[in-house]
Amino acid sequence: MILAVSDTGPIIHLDEINALDLLSVVDQLLVPQTVYEELEEGGVPAALESLSYDLVTADTKGFNEALDPGETAALAVASKHSGVLLTDDLEARDAAESHDIEVHGSVGVIILAYHQGHIEKPRAIGLMRSLQTETSLFIADAVVEQGIELLDDST
Amino acid sequence: MAVDLTERVQEIADARGVPESKILEQALERGVEDLWVDLVLTQYLDGEIDREKAIELVGRDRVKRADREAKAVKDDVRWGLNA
Repeated sequence: MILAVSDTGPIIHLDEINALDLLSVVDQLLVPQTVYEELEEGGVPAALESLSYDLVTADTKGFNEALDPGETAALAVASKHSGVLLTDDLEARDAAESHDIEVHGSVGVIILAYHQGHIEKPRAIGLMRSLQTETSLFIADAVVEQGIELLDDST
Repeated sequence: MAVDLTERVQEIADARGVPESKILEQALERGVEDLWVDLVLTQYLDGEIDREKAIELVGRDRVKRADREAKAVKDDVRWGLNA
């Protein structure tokens, strides 16, 4: 059972490569209201409405990290529900780890979709490369290629 | 994409009040710099050069960020394959 809480990053980045549907690999997806409001600023991806998710409010008391409000809200909700935080922000990842919250990003969602049989390996590899080349996510080319090597070595 | 690039070059040149040739020269410099950083980080992550050498070539901040990104991607791949 995977309960995940997403901040804006994975929603935006997966949508940018037409792979937002892959978020359905988690059993329950929570989207904090604050995150949804941040998405509204740039336009909520149409594909989000095809996903099953719950909008939730967040109590961010005790979470004083220097993060965006959406990231802080997602962190607080993940902590409250003992869920997995989905974020592509390195600072948010560090904050999650400091609160003992399991944290992963868009790459993890793609690999999980592959592992669960939703997509074939070539598509997973293509999507990982697209994350680097076609989205607003900043990640070094070399890092993505290293991740692809890990995936290739796995079977 | 080619049309976009041409339009962008024109827009940047107009905004800065410099010739388009100057913008293209700067774009080439930045592009080569990006490719150079990619090459060095690839060599570093592949173990072909050590950390000190990578820092010397592209700076500590870029190497530290690459380390953090690499850890995040490795964690994600392992999670995805085992969750």
